[in-house]
Amino acid sequence: ALSPGSQLLKGYRGGHVVIRFALGGCTNRPFFRIVAAHSRRARDGKYLEQLGCLDPLPNAHGERVAGLNLERLRHWLGCGAQLSRPAEKLLGLAGFLPLHPMTVTGAERLRRRRRAQEAALAPADGSDGPGDAP
Amino acid sequence: MAALGAWGSAAAPARLSRVVRALWGWRARRGLGQDAGAADEGKAAKPSFDDETVQNLLYKMTGLNLQKVFRPVKKELKPPKYKLMTEAQLEEATRKAIEEAKEKLIMPPVLKEREPIDDILAEDKFLEGTETTKYVFTDITYSIPHRERFIVVREPSGVLRKATWEERDRMIQIFFPKEGRRVIPPVVFKDEHLGTVFRQDRHEDILNMCIAQFEPDSPDYIRVHHRTYDDIEKNGKYDLLRSTRHFGGMVWYLVNRKKTDGILIDMIQRDLLDDATSLITLYHMLHPECQSAKAAKEGKLQGVDLIKVFVKTESQKEGYIQLALQAYEEAMATSTAS
Repeated sequence: ALSPGSQLLKGYRGGHVVIRFALGGCTNRPFFRIVAAHSRRARDGKYLEQLGCLDPLPNAHGERVAGLNLERLRHWLGCGAQLSRPAEKLLGLAGFLPLHPMTVTGAERLRRRRRAQEAALAPADGSDGPGDAP
Repeated sequence: MAALGAWGSAAAPARLSRVVRALWGWRARRGLGQDAGAADEGKAAKPSFDDETVQNLLYKMTGLNLQKVFRPVKKELKPPKYKLMTEAQLEEATRKAIEEAKEKLIMPPVLKEREPIDDILAEDKFLEGTETTKYVFTDITYSIPHRERFIVVREPSGVLRKATWEERDRMIQIFFPKEGRRVIPPVVFKDEHLGTVFRQDRHEDILNMCIAQFEPDSPDYIRVHHRTYDDIEKNGKYDLLRSTRHFGGMVWYLVNRKKTDGILIDMIQRDLLDDATSLITLYHMLHPECQSAKAAKEGKLQGVDLIKVFVKTESQKEGYIQLALQAYEEAMATSTAS
């Protein structure tokens, strides 16, 4: 609901509200804020409301901490906000939304790749084994 | 200290279970369904910590030493303020001081240890192996009470479970920090370091820190409190906690475990006969099947006779208590004679 005409407010043509991650932090130390913003805004620019945060690096107890303001999330989703794919995946992991299909697909692809790698290593080991010089 | 601030804002005349219920919300009862049944049965069978009568007895025993309650707490240095007052104003000021002292002496609740949370919300086996560390999701909606907040953990094995109590406390402290509470509990609360604290006679400080750091139904809170009470009882340092808000809890602990001899001797030696009689009344309320309780009920004994009956039947250190009583009676006789 930004009204063009004022020099301070930026007016857009089209665009919609999205709930996405805004990156912050320093070099080699990312920190995401889960944010409801206009889709045409810069990724780290002015947002409508902060709905939570995510620390992608594990802490001293080996956990990645995420906070989600579910009440305001429900409000913005009710207002017709869209979600970015990483936001959807995170909410699927949290249990707020059903699991994203790409999470499942990603898990299957990873498993297939790992199995292929193990299969590639096994005959390679078999051929290298007796050929190892002492 | 901040915990005191929160309680100080409660309604002035309330110092009993009403305030305690309002502040702690008895969410322990609402949140953990199985606790409610157990607490009700406990009340019907034997008196619990927050009955009116029990609280009255414990409050009388706590004493009201204004000098100790308002002893200087280490704050920033300010020059002292002097006021010139008439007699009436001085009385008014003393009365207000007594009101504030009563608020400072509100006893922290004594609850049973909480049951560990063990609830799985979803199992997604095909997520196994995608992540290496777990995710902890906290609901940071401002208007929900902390006991009803959703805190879930997604393990690397794909299981979505509710967080354990320790994880819950840590996350709530991260997102809604409370003054005086650290995210990771300080090392001083471990058993090997509590001994050093007790040697320095700082039982009251460690108990205040414990109240600020832990929830009253957490096992750490209960463990630290029990260790403190045991140490006090072993060394007879009952006066350290007298006129503080921890005295009631200590007496409740000792009476439940029938270790009342030391504190009885201490009370008689300090000429606090009323406190001794209230202690024995509390003992009879909690253990109505013992001999001295029945004797007291039949004979409707009061004062020194009650103590004598109690000493004959229930105490281990009979000799010491008899000696103390004799010394007290001699002192009374000489003072009345002179």
